[in-house]
Amino acid sequence: MSGLSELRLGFIPLTDCAPLAVAATLGFFEDEGLAVELVREASWATIRDKVAVGALDGAHMLAPMALAAGGAILAPLALNRNGAAITVSTALAGTIGPKGEGLAEVVAARRASGRGTLTFAVVFPESMHNYLLRDWLAAAGIDPDRDVRLVVIPPPRMVERMRAGEVDGFCVGAPWNAVAEAEGLGRILITASQLLPGGPDKVLGVPATLAEQRPDDLRACLRAVIRGAAWADDPINREDLIAILARPDVVGAAPAAIARALANEIVFHRDGASLPRREDGLWMASRMVRWGQLRAGVDLDALVDRVYRSDLYRDAAEISGHLLA
Amino acid sequence: MRVLVIDPDHARAALVAAGLQGVEPAEVRHTTLYDEAEVLAFAPDVVVIAAESPDRDTLESLREATEGAPRPVVMFVDRSEPGLAEQAVRAGVAAYVVDGLAPGRVRSILDVAMSRFALTQQLRGDLAKAKADLESRKVVDRAKGLLMKERGLDEDGAYRLLRKLAMDRGKPIGVVAADLLAFAGVLRGDAS
Repeated sequence: MSGLSELRLGFIPLTDCAPLAVAATLGFFEDEGLAVELVREASWATIRDKVAVGALDGAHMLAPMALAAGGAILAPLALNRNGAAITVSTALAGTIGPKGEGLAEVVAARRASGRGTLTFAVVFPESMHNYLLRDWLAAAGIDPDRDVRLVVIPPPRMVERMRAGEVDGFCVGAPWNAVAEAEGLGRILITASQLLPGGPDKVLGVPATLAEQRPDDLRACLRAVIRGAAWADDPINREDLIAILARPDVVGAAPAAIARALANEIVFHRDGASLPRREDGLWMASRMVRWGQLRAGVDLDALVDRVYRSDLYRDAAEISGHLLA
Repeated sequence: MRVLVIDPDHARAALVAAGLQGVEPAEVRHTTLYDEAEVLAFAPDVVVIAAESPDRDTLESLREATEGAPRPVVMFVDRSEPGLAEQAVRAGVAAYVVDGLAPGRVRSILDVAMSRFALTQQLRGDLAKAKADLESRKVVDRAKGLLMKERGLDEDGAYRLLRKLAMDRGKPIGVVAADLLAFAGVLRGDAS
């Protein structure tokens, strides 16, 4: 290619990969002088490892995963806010309220009758999905580590595992909750925007070495992805966005299921959504401590400042003329 | 020592397992999917898993093993050999080991897995090239036939002409032959 800098970016089939998919499909990367190869990966662990060693130059990433890497991976941009939801099987849905009302009774009854514990799934230990589900369970009087079984299943496999009867409920990103509901397998009880309005979700994770060694390419990349996020947020582009995401090589789900979270749940850019905010990082770090993923006594402020690089975002966004909220 | 190989690519899993048999007295099993009951029953000391397997995240969560979960495994990150983890990631292999296993033993297992992954890639590349070569030979034969018919050349003469065209244009003979057939098709009206 003539004079374009090459970048390899990874993603997982989820609606919130939209800013990357849009920037790649509509040529926003080329406009910034970048030749980007988008690579679909099969697991979050592989995304993390590849970014950490520089086998990928960046990726769609669970926000807490960047924090857990301790500084090897930076989060200079938030890809979205909200988008996840808690879904339970249709068998359970009739007896449980949106805040988990009635769940403690179900757990107790199953224990008394020896029918075994309920199984809930999240997408990764270090994920907003894990923290939101654990907080939801705890608020409903359930100990997530004792009263239920928590397992990890990759997002595109959630629905088939519910169909097989292996999970009773899960917390996953769009569009997989809507897919489960459309197939008559489960019902969405509550969404992330109701649990934690405007809460963080995915970030663009990049190797710390990229920021050191290729600051211009990183800036160009952030500008293209910010443009992609703004485009994805604009209701005028909704039908085109759904068509991009529905492609089998991107998310590969039914357009109607993809449309649902886009309508009133997920936010990509507006109201300063793309800015990786310090308070988001601190909220997640507090949950990592609460659920035993970070030792108490770790300097959380220092960790968040090392990883959540709003300065890199501002540097890129101001040059491109995008207004910060 | 018990080693479990998980790889959605069945042929590669078998190749890795066969390679590991030779490393040291080890009981090696391979599977395309993570299965909790199977892992519990087999109780591996090491799990070698392809990076492209979606089951990686499930294995990852076992590090936080709680009640009822299978035996805890930790990802192999040996600080004394910082290059090893990177090498493995680039080769497309990850390993999870039961805490306390000697790093040297893990190293030899990972080395075998990485070399077998590379071997699989090379074999697949060779196969693709062989198929392409065969295809190219067929195209060259058809182009020769066309030249023999249209220009009244014998087989040798037709081949020499193709080779000259290839050299003049600096293109592989298979490409020149394919171009020739395509043009002949257009002249016959195939594409109109």
